Amino acid sequence: MQFRVLSSFLPPTAFIFMPHVSDVLSSQDIGKFGNLQILAKQVVEGFCSGLHRSPHKGFSVEFKEHRAYVPGDDIRTIDWKLFGKTDRLYIREYEEETNLRCTILLDSSGSMSYCGSRSNGVSKHDYAVRTAASLAYLMLHQQDSVGLVTFDKIVRKYIPPRARPKHLKVIVSELQKQKPEFETEIGKVFHEMVSKIQRRGLLIVISDLFGDVEQLMKSLAQFRHANHEVIVFQIWDPDELDFPFRQWTQFASLESATNKHLVDPAQLRKAYLEKLAQFREQLAKGCNRQRISLVPMTSDQPYADSLAAYLALRRKSK
Amino acid sequence: MTFLNFALAFGAAAFVIPLVIHILNRSRFRTVEWGAMHLLESVIKVNHKRFQLDQLLLLLVRCAIPVLLALCLARPVLTGSRLLEGDAPVSMVMLLDTSYSMDASDSTGSRFKSAVEAACQIIAATTNGSEVAVILTGGKPTPLFDQPVFDSEAVIRRLRQVQSGYGASNMPEALNEAMAMLSGMSNARRELIVLSDFQAADWGDSGLITANAIRQQVDAMSIKPELTLYQIGSQVQGNVSVDSLEIPQRALGVDQQLAVRANIHNHGTSEVRNARVILRIDGAEASVSQISLAARGTTQTLFPCTFKTSGSHIIEVQVVVDDPLKTDNTFAAAVTVWESIKVVLVDGDPSSQPLKGETDFLSIALTPYTFGRVKLSDLVETQTIEAKEINEELLKTARVIVLANVSKLDDETLELMTNFVNEGGALFVTSGNRIDLTWYRERMYAQGTGLLPLPYGATVGQSEEVSNPSSEGKSSRIVAQHFSHPAMEFFNEAANGDLSKAEIRRWSQMKQTDELPIVESGTTATDPEETQPAEPQQHVVVLARLETGDPLLVERRFGDGVVMQMATACDADWSDLPLRPFYVPLMQQIVTTMASQIAPPRNIQTGEPVVALFSNDSQDGQTHAAALSVTTPDGAQQSITPESQGTLQLARFDETQRPGVYSMVLPSTETIYFVAATSRNESDLSMLSKDKLLSLSKDMAATIISTPAQYLEQDRLRRHGREIWKFVLMGLLALMFLELVLQQRFSRVIT
Repeated sequence: MQFRVLSSFLPPTAFIFMPHVSDVLSSQDIGKFGNLQILAKQVVEGFCSGLHRSPHKGFSVEFKEHRAYVPGDDIRTIDWKLFGKTDRLYIREYEEETNLRCTILLDSSGSMSYCGSRSNGVSKHDYAVRTAASLAYLMLHQQDSVGLVTFDKIVRKYIPPRARPKHLKVIVSELQKQKPEFETEIGKVFHEMVSKIQRRGLLIVISDLFGDVEQLMKSLAQFRHANHEVIVFQIWDPDELDFPFRQWTQFASLESATNKHLVDPAQLRKAYLEKLAQFREQLAKGCNRQRISLVPMTSDQPYADSLAAYLALRRKSK
Repeated sequence: MTFLNFALAFGAAAFVIPLVIHILNRSRFRTVEWGAMHLLESVIKVNHKRFQLDQLLLLLVRCAIPVLLALCLARPVLTGSRLLEGDAPVSMVMLLDTSYSMDASDSTGSRFKSAVEAACQIIAATTNGSEVAVILTGGKPTPLFDQPVFDSEAVIRRLRQVQSGYGASNMPEALNEAMAMLSGMSNARRELIVLSDFQAADWGDSGLITANAIRQQVDAMSIKPELTLYQIGSQVQGNVSVDSLEIPQRALGVDQQLAVRANIHNHGTSEVRNARVILRIDGAEASVSQISLAARGTTQTLFPCTFKTSGSHIIEVQVVVDDPLKTDNTFAAAVTVWESIKVVLVDGDPSSQPLKGETDFLSIALTPYTFGRVKLSDLVETQTIEAKEINEELLKTARVIVLANVSKLDDETLELMTNFVNEGGALFVTSGNRIDLTWYRERMYAQGTGLLPLPYGATVGQSEEVSNPSSEGKSSRIVAQHFSHPAMEFFNEAANGDLSKAEIRRWSQMKQTDELPIVESGTTATDPEETQPAEPQQHVVVLARLETGDPLLVERRFGDGVVMQMATACDADWSDLPLRPFYVPLMQQIVTTMASQIAPPRNIQTGEPVVALFSNDSQDGQTHAAALSVTTPDGAQQSITPESQGTLQLARFDETQRPGVYSMVLPSTETIYFVAATSRNESDLSMLSKDKLLSLSKDMAATIISTPAQYLEQDRLRRHGREIWKFVLMGLLALMFLELVLQQRFSRVIT
């Protein structure tokens, strides 16, 4: 993967926090959704603190900046050590930690590694990783805490949500390690995660959702039951949507080496598309019922565009 | 099935191309690492069998396309189940209708010309090695060549010279002959073609029976011929024909009047008005009359005519109308006019006193003009002699000999007499008181082998003593009846005399014998089945009977001659016949009829031989065989060699198939005429309707054609079969379309 590193275009803060972010996000990408904010749809704990600066400055352990003392400021906030050194009164300000806990659940199963001819060499998984990184960057930039779960048939890695800017590096490095190769059991994994993610928050699922729809819906329903807000980014490759194959093709499963079928694609295209439509309809209905936002994304579109479009939609619905 | 371009049929091997493409496609597949396997698998699982079936179907259609294309280019030909070589020679028998109805012409010309043209076309199209026989069906079926001919050009040359106008076709016989000829032919492919106008008269009712018989014959043949019926010509309306001429049979003399009745028939459905009817004698117009004919009506026209010279003459009646068939508008007949008929009267009871001799009355009756010393001439010339005067020279010139009350003849004279009758002479035997009953029975009758028709039996009736008429028996009279014998027909008209008025006082009984059965005159015509004898010489015809039932006048053919026998005497001793006015015509009729019967007939039916008997004129008495010339109706001259028959020469000409006038020039430079007539059945020109022809063809298992091209096409189909490339091409296009549809249906690829 070739990513352009254009650090000069990055905002100063990004430069501070993202020694590795540029590996997965281009500066243009970051610039596009840097001004956007995720607005939680439901009222969750710490929603306002996610939106505004905390009024309880000084309670936080995270130092932000010094400023000159003005009359009226709480004298407890004066940095006496600095006064001793400089003989001037400075107020020590701290960032308040927010309560928006976002967990990104990234599908690293074999099926995500499909890369069609029209997606410019970006596999679904690459696309998902970039999307995840973008989101992580965005939210950490807003001082929200972001966690990451990677999974296939089991949970491969669980990074609990943190709001520290350095956390992005952890997430990004984890994202880079992912190699999709195993089968998916998304329902089982989600079921497992319900108990782990106890605090309410935002769950962002980035997956192709291939698997048993019913089981998936049950698991998502459990998340919803635990008052999580769930956003599902469903990643498609264009090939999976229009099945453009002509000549005889052997379809080998990305998840199981023994599963192969030699077919005339032209012959089964129609039936495939019908089945696909049925599958998507099931998903859409299920998500709608659970008030889950299902955002289909195709890997040939610029992922940042999709993400920006979604965030704009969120803001509008707010 | 065969192919015209057989090499191209190998192109069908191109069916492997789609097969190879299919196999290659399957083997040279690309591999795709696929993520959405759960969607794909469910589709494959459900539709697996259908996909396989679809693929198979599509593959079959695609394989069939090059096969059909190759078939189409190879020009396949359906030949049925037979595997005969297309150019195999054929054995063909063609029945060409040469009957006179084929002379009928319509807008396209005469039927016969069309028929010959069609026949030539068909024969010309036969392949090398084919043998052809043509049978002309008019009159008696006659093959064009004695043997089937391999040279079709020779057949065509001969065919173009053939003329029609022969008698009515005898189709059953012609077909039999054709079958016999076919069975003797050599090629495996047999054809029987009938070219005819298929007249309703020929094929109407008997056609069905004939058809079944033919079919049975065909079925019985080891190699079945293909039957083809070719109906020539179209329906034409209206035709008038002269059906026959009725001419009295008795002998005719110079200046004697002959009443000719012409029967004229209108076969059309519209009336014919004011048609001229012309009588020609020896080609010269002699009399004209005018007739009108109702639709489908017949009429008779009577022409009285006389002849100025003796010898053979031709009379011809022609009706002048504008009808499609001219051939039957004339009818001819040959008439022989006698200069004189020499009758030798052998008197068994001569007398020097007038009218006392046995033959005196008879002589007067036969030559009334001579006796009356009027200028008119008698046809009959009599010579009265006694039995002992009979000799060979006398018999040479005599035509009729009358044995009147002759007691008996010596053996030599009897032999002379027997030869005379055997060679065509006429003998009239009358009874009387002088006859030797034993001699007559034993020598003259000789148990049916002698000259006499019946042996004389006992003499019955009144006693000869006139003064004592009622001493023994009663006299009798001739039964008044309708006479059908030509000699007696004259008396059917009451004005000509009443025979029953004559009193027959005595007569010799003539008993029927086992050897020669008696037949009443005229019964032959009314009841032919019972009385039709095998030989006319083997029975005796009774011309007249007495009221007692005894025959009075009987007749028998003997050899080429005829013998008549009377039960009573010819003078006035036993009856009052000579005193009656009708005695003269009775005797004249008997003698002239006998005289005219003895000559071989000159009005014959077509196919019957023309026979002329003439005396040997050489002075040295040796017979010599000078060739005679015979002119046939179509103008051709043929020479025949006469044969010697006793004292006479016999000239015989058999080729009389063609109706019309045949003339023969005798060594004495005398020309005698014969007329061969044919039945006028074919003058009704109506043809078999399409339906009837169709049913006839079905019964015969035959094919109907209406043009030579149709036959040639049919023959080509039978030989080479029917080309079916068009159908194959249609199938090919259909398959290509089907392939397109199937492909669309199975794949639904949208680009």
